[in-house]
Amino acid sequence: MIEINQLTKTFTSQDGTPVHALGGVDLTVNDNEFLTLLGPSGCGKTTMLKMIAGLQGWDGGTITIDGKAVTGPGPDRSMVFQNFALLPWATVMDNVCFGLRLRGTERRAREERAQELIEMVGLSGFESKRPGELSGGMQQRVGIARALAVDPQILLMDEPFGAVDEQTRRLLQEELLSIWERNRLTVVFVTHSMEEAVLLGDRVVLMSARPGQISEIVEVPLARPRSSDVGGLERSREYTEITAHLWDQLRSMHSEHRAVEAVR
Amino acid sequence: MTAIAQSTTPRTSRSVPRFRLGGVGMSALSLTLGVLAWELVGRVFALPFFPPFTVVVGTLMEMIGRGDIVGNLAVSLSNLVAGFTISLVIGIVVGTAMGRYWRVRAALGVYVYALLTAPSLVFAPIFFSIFGAGQGSIIAVVVMYSTFVMIINTASAVQNVPAAMLEMGRSYGASEWQLVTRVIVPAALPTMLAGIRLGMGRAVLGMINGEMFIAVTGLGRLVTQAGKSFDGAAVLAVLIVIIVVALGAVGLVQMVDRALTGWVPDTSKEKS
Ligand SMILES: Nc1ncnc2c1ncn2[C@@H]1O[C@H](COP(=O)(O)OP(=O)(O)OP(=O)(O)O)[C@@H](O)[C@H]1O
Ligand SMILES: [Mg+2]
Repeated sequence: MIEINQLTKTFTSQDGTPVHALGGVDLTVNDNEFLTLLGPSGCGKTTMLKMIAGLQGWDGGTITIDGKAVTGPGPDRSMVFQNFALLPWATVMDNVCFGLRLRGTERRAREERAQELIEMVGLSGFESKRPGELSGGMQQRVGIARALAVDPQILLMDEPFGAVDEQTRRLLQEELLSIWERNRLTVVFVTHSMEEAVLLGDRVVLMSARPGQISEIVEVPLARPRSSDVGGLERSREYTEITAHLWDQLRSMHSEHRAVEAVR
Repeated sequence: MTAIAQSTTPRTSRSVPRFRLGGVGMSALSLTLGVLAWELVGRVFALPFFPPFTVVVGTLMEMIGRGDIVGNLAVSLSNLVAGFTISLVIGIVVGTAMGRYWRVRAALGVYVYALLTAPSLVFAPIFFSIFGAGQGSIIAVVVMYSTFVMIINTASAVQNVPAAMLEMGRSYGASEWQLVTRVIVPAALPTMLAGIRLGMGRAVLGMINGEMFIAVTGLGRLVTQAGKSFDGAAVLAVLIVIIVVALGAVGLVQMVDRALTGWVPDTSKEKS
């Protein structure tokens, strides 16, 4: 269980003005939950995800995982990046092995494990290709396999499908659902898309613009497993209602934001 | 020098109608024209220090026959290899440290830039007094010539490694050493190699200048001797050998470069 308490963070921008990124966030992520995080651009989603990952410090508040305070990256968490962050010189196999290799897992064991995941994400036959030879969607499959290879309990995903085309994105969403249905890790998934947030999440956390705060948490009552009938879900009334509600909220945030900017 | 070495790669396949020339063909054509011009100028103007190409080649053959070239070439090459290896190690280690740690950058930056622009031969007398009139001094001159450009290139290559890649490494629990060896250096390698190529060129320059200055061994001494006895053909003959050495050395770096950085997409490579 991830427990976030009164988390605050203020950055100093290049010109010296303070940027109030997080203004007291409280959030609990349950074990084996798929949580999606939605909010306007710049509201601190990435910042918060990096804090959970142990990559970014904060000013006030606490983050604990199963009762232990987060002080840095750990083997219980792995992250999937929007721009994939693959090593361009390394093969698909070596990229997927990256985390295991850092941990000193012996070659045979790590390649066996990597092979399983490469198959799981549908990249069999591409083991010795380099990222530059793969499409964006395939590169993110490598990113996901790399993250899963280290057997994390928590998967942190920052707009993982934000840089791929719409069709690939839909395929990846279905694949991620089916992987998650088999593995049931805790997932915190940041997205800009209301549809994606609803389709994937058990709960959708809506954040408000700067300073980032939780403005609403929406339960998604759609039945699981969802991967087998994504099309059906998207036509269901619940789905339509929740996405419409989320858009209403986001739209009002945007216009409020614009009003504030105008007053300044 | 870089341009010459680079043009030996038939990389561009864009075809010019009817007449197509690869990189190798272009270099060969250019060399042939150069030699022809040399021959012509040498014959027409009959300058005392600019004998025609064929005469110079004749002299070169004579010198090789007398055993003047091979021994000196071997000495020069050993100076080059020793000096360049030392420079390479210093360049990579110091450059990486400067690129990665701002304190190191702040502390050493001034010296590195000062020494990069300082005429390296100024230090030859100092080396002379420390290492004596032998190979040691020449190697020190080679190091002086080639190290700093490699340090600066490596440092900027390391600084330009994308932050996202470092973040990724840290997220998988990489230690500082793992981050440097598994992420930073491989990511910086293509840019580093551009600096290493420059460093190699400067190492050859350092070798010749050092040998000419200290004049006890190698091709440099040969040039100095020939110059003193006003033997223009011999000077140019040795010069041909030096050019061959330089092209070979830079070509070698180029080969290593291609073997190590095959992953870099051609489009971004062409820019460098
Ligand atoms: N290192 C930093 N230095 C200064 N300001 C920063 C830094 N990192 C983030 N910020 C600022 O903090 C705010 C939140 O950034 P963050 O990247 O977390 O937003 P986000 O919700 O992920 O946005 P997006 O949806 O566009 O990805 C932004 O205003 C950003 O400019
Ligand atoms: Mg973000």
